[in-house]
Amino acid sequence: MGNSQQSFFGFLRENGRVGVRNHVLILPVDDISNAAVEMVGHNIKGTLSIPHSYGRLQFGADLELFFRTIIGTGRNPNVAAVVVIGIEPGWTQRVVDGIAQTGKPVSGFSIEGEGDLKTVAKASRKAQEYVQWATELQREECPLSDLWISVKCGESDTTSGLGSNPAVGNLMDKLDPLGVHLCFGETSELTGAEQVCANRSSTSEAKEKFLNTWNAYNDFILENKTNDLSESQPTKGNIAGGLTTIEEKAFGNLQKIGKTTNFIDVLEPAEEPTKGPGLYFMDTSSAAAECVTLQAAAGFTVHLFPTGQGNVIGNPIEPVIKLTANPNTAATMSEHIDLDVSGILKREMNLDQAGSELVNITVRTANGRHTCAESLGHREFVLTKLFRSA
Amino acid sequence: MTTHFIAHDAADTVGVVVVEKVLAGQEATGWIMETNETVTIKALVEVPLGHKLALADIKNEDTIIKYGNDIGRAVSDIPKGGYVHVHNVKTKRW
Repeated sequence: MGNSQQSFFGFLRENGRVGVRNHVLILPVDDISNAAVEMVGHNIKGTLSIPHSYGRLQFGADLELFFRTIIGTGRNPNVAAVVVIGIEPGWTQRVVDGIAQTGKPVSGFSIEGEGDLKTVAKASRKAQEYVQWATELQREECPLSDLWISVKCGESDTTSGLGSNPAVGNLMDKLDPLGVHLCFGETSELTGAEQVCANRSSTSEAKEKFLNTWNAYNDFILENKTNDLSESQPTKGNIAGGLTTIEEKAFGNLQKIGKTTNFIDVLEPAEEPTKGPGLYFMDTSSAAAECVTLQAAAGFTVHLFPTGQGNVIGNPIEPVIKLTANPNTAATMSEHIDLDVSGILKREMNLDQAGSELVNITVRTANGRHTCAESLGHREFVLTKLFRSA
Repeated sequence: MTTHFIAHDAADTVGVVVVEKVLAGQEATGWIMETNETVTIKALVEVPLGHKLALADIKNEDTIIKYGNDIGRAVSDIPKGGYVHVHNVKTKRW
């Protein structure tokens, strides 16, 4: 394989999953509980508050996706314990119950009839209890197969398809045989390469699910577009970096799944995988924060983010590792870049070496090394909304 | 020897500049990843890092090939060594 690491040190959770981080999450059910959540986060140091914009009057598939994402965020193995705050008790309890299934400590508080201040007092005491409990948990040695790795590329340019994405693909080809769960997505960004991608399925069922998913997204775009999506997809940043068409971007995108790895199933947004170890395709937006938020909600614990022009995104739950093959980006935005693979373009580094270095930094991150995004405070948490509220 | 541009597959009609820029009139050396071949093309105009130059004469409405696959259509003639980007190539999909 080219490197000797076969294990990492992580937090073994009640349900057998392993986390690479140990967050005590203060989680709002809805946007009007954000203030109370932030107050608790301020009172108790060592907690992680994630305010967000939705949770009211959503319905149908949009509401189901909302609950799947919020509950999944709390369930993620990188989270040790959760304090949930909502405006009313019903939906608050639904979120608590969904997280409690994992066996981890979780409590809910609702504001109606109490007010922010009383709610914050009770929730803060619980948060303190959780932080003191969580900070005594120790990491244990675990096999690499306990890592669940998600990938998405962002602000891509032509160096993405030449270097950083194939480096991720090389990692996939190395780790898939070890039984690691892997995930890629960005449905619309496979446009132009969708048939080639479909043929990378390991079963005809997975292939059919993938093509149905892609076709549904393509129909939606065709129905709603007003032009050829110039500047939206590819973005202005992609174009400045040299990418010309969505087809070109798609083939570059597809390099992330390597040469030999095939996907075993297709997931709904934020759906937890159920078919065991292997590569999964998840139906996601191609907007970076939305995609990583969904992958984290499905239980993925480390994220690889190849970038061309320099996307700076992080995620509150999953550490996001940035790599680039663009030498200008590596030089001018070095505080954001965990791994520089621009040597590939100069033929100073081959893909096998780049893939090994990426495995190495992934394991170091799993063991506790803060990524650039973490140290800069990037915690983009963005819910995917399917349609307007009622 | 410096590699000025890289192409993925032998069938590709475009290559990506991987140095700061290639200058107009420069004899640019390229690496074809699939076959490990080296080729030389004369760049007709300046092309910056990450942008593409044509590896063959391309006619209006021709399919552009990269990664051995269809990545769009030319909307004007592009001579070998010419600059290829949004001004002369458009998507077929949207």
